[in-house]
Amino acid sequence: MVSRRIIYLILTLVILIPLLRPFKLKPLPMKPVENLFYYINNMPKDKALLISVDYSPDTEAELHPMTIALLKHAFYKRIKVGVLTLTLLGLGLAEDALRTVVKEFNERAKTREDSIIYGRDYVFLGWQTPPLVPLLGMGESITKVFPVDYYGNRTDTLPLLQQIKNYRDVGIVVSISGSAIPMWYVTYAQTTFGVKVGAGFTAVSAADYYPYLNSGQLTGLLAGMRGGAEYEELVEKHFGKTKRRKATEAMSSQTTAHIMIIILIIIGNIIYFKQRRRK
Amino acid sequence: MKVRFPLILCLLMGIIGMVAYYIPHRIVQNFDNELRNTALRIIFAFSLVLGVGSIIRHHWEKIKRKREFWEYSYVTLISLFLTAFIGLFGGIDGKGLIKMQIGKFSFDIHTIYVNMAIPLGATMFSLLAYFMASAAYRAFRARNFEAILLLIAAFIVMLASVPPVARLIPKLPYISEWILDVPNTAAKRGMLFGITLGVLSTSLKILLGIERGWLGGK
Amino acid sequence: MSTDIWVWIAAILTLGIFSFLYKDNPFYRFCEHLFVGITNGYAITFYWHRILVPSLIKPVSQGEKLYLLIFAFIGALYFTRFIPRLSWLVRIPIAFVLGYGAGAAIPRTIETSIIEQAKATILQRSNFLNLFDAISSIIIFFGVIATIIYFFFSTERKGILKHLAYSGIIFIMLGFGASFGYTVMARISLLIGRLTFLLRDWLGIIK
Repeated sequence: MVSRRIIYLILTLVILIPLLRPFKLKPLPMKPVENLFYYINNMPKDKALLISVDYSPDTEAELHPMTIALLKHAFYKRIKVGVLTLTLLGLGLAEDALRTVVKEFNERAKTREDSIIYGRDYVFLGWQTPPLVPLLGMGESITKVFPVDYYGNRTDTLPLLQQIKNYRDVGIVVSISGSAIPMWYVTYAQTTFGVKVGAGFTAVSAADYYPYLNSGQLTGLLAGMRGGAEYEELVEKHFGKTKRRKATEAMSSQTTAHIMIIILIIIGNIIYFKQRRRK
Repeated sequence: MKVRFPLILCLLMGIIGMVAYYIPHRIVQNFDNELRNTALRIIFAFSLVLGVGSIIRHHWEKIKRKREFWEYSYVTLISLFLTAFIGLFGGIDGKGLIKMQIGKFSFDIHTIYVNMAIPLGATMFSLLAYFMASAAYRAFRARNFEAILLLIAAFIVMLASVPPVARLIPKLPYISEWILDVPNTAAKRGMLFGITLGVLSTSLKILLGIERGWLGGK
Repeated sequence: MSTDIWVWIAAILTLGIFSFLYKDNPFYRFCEHLFVGITNGYAITFYWHRILVPSLIKPVSQGEKLYLLIFAFIGALYFTRFIPRLSWLVRIPIAFVLGYGAGAAIPRTIETSIIEQAKATILQRSNFLNLFDAISSIIIFFGVIATIIYFFFSTERKGILKHLAYSGIIFIMLGFGASFGYTVMARISLLIGRLTFLLRDWLGIIK
């Protein structure tokens, strides 16, 4: 049997080499990703997209590209965006995603009209707890649930929130999470107020939520790094090249690592069956 | 009093929580919204005391009794107080009562979070990739028909998830999606019914005072 | 290579956690304890600035909604957890939050995870619009029942029950296989994320 540390070393190399020398690839968007993309793409102009950044640093690598791709899509399409989080540790990540994407768009913008402006095009509501407060409260009034936004501004003074008052003005909520939080939106917000819900899950848990996709309770589903890469592909296909595609960039290493794991399982089995026969 | 009052309060709150779902009348809805936005929010906010208090107590005891690795408890306590100080007095943007900046070097709460909490948390979980690779080699054995099925499904999903293989075998992503969408959905839904009934019965037991674990020991 | 001191701090902490792969060591333990401290300090900050200040302290200090003090008093009972003689009082705020949460959850969970899921399982005319959907819907219907029967231990497995329970295992294994395949993807992604950080943001080797 090969020692544990040699496997660690091989895995590091298998990931590092494609990062240094990536190969060209083109993700193939699957139906759950397409469904979410086209639902958002065809939303009426007066409806907003609510992105709930419900993950913490531990799953950042997998889920952050989804938030960034969704924000890019919304800003390209000029859809109004509200960003919030139900997990405290998601706050800094949401802020980071907004900062990155807004900067990218505003560097390109030539006029004020082209720019992405806080309060007009997007708001960062921040975080409130316990989760039932925002989940149910936003059905009545978003500003009552979030009296101040992340930056400390009074929310009732923000122009966007004078138009987007509660779930009735929200086209879809997309919750991105490493846990069951998107299901809280289905359980509380959807059953009570009928709002549409899309989800971004870590790949670990994605398979467990397919029953809700099948029943139509989830409008679409992004699963792990692959889901992020497929969404990035759709955004680029419809709106042209974007600055960075974090999930797609990772896919070269993902490919080699998956093949390595499969080979490890096969070698492990060959050794096991050989030893068993000998006994 | 010590047991009955909390139990009655729990039941009463449960009824209030449930009633609002069934009665869409404005008065009930307004009451429910107000209750959540004020009482629930404020009371729950204090629950942080339990979490942070327990951590402080745990590490303080560790230092006092000089248990194994007690020196590291100082790291937790000092970083906790320091971060809280920076956040409370520097505000969210670091420009509060005390400016969290020395020359060009700023150390506001967001900067600390992005450059310390994110790398620490993210790296801790990334170690799992190594452990999983090692387990893949040691533990996954195709001992019987069921295990072979599991491995085949896993291989298909793994290979279909990466674009070069998916381009090479164009049918593979669709087979993978079908496995997720049909047999996986059936199995997970079957389990979901069981799990949900379990959750529901536990919730009911809490409301009716049959399950009293939350009251604590005494 | 980065000249930003914060990127260096992030990189050193990343390497500190990675050092665990060699063996448990003081550097790793330092990083682990640091993480607990920082995240709790972060929590205190936001509970104060974004919950207690706007929802309690501001309105009360302006003389509005003085009744909020009652809720603050109930919330403050959480402190009694650390006073042995009064520690039973902590049950009051817990009862408040737990009771409301359970009450709000029960009807909505029934709707979401029982009724809607059962509706999606039952075969209806709309499931038979094309052959592929029809076959898939029948497989799901059969698979759900087989899985439930597999977990049903109250009677002896004989006759049709035995066969159904066995087909339940097949569905479960395919489901777990799919989950396992995805889990591999998840774990690898996290590692790629950290290595990308080291190569790109810290060392500047890749663009």
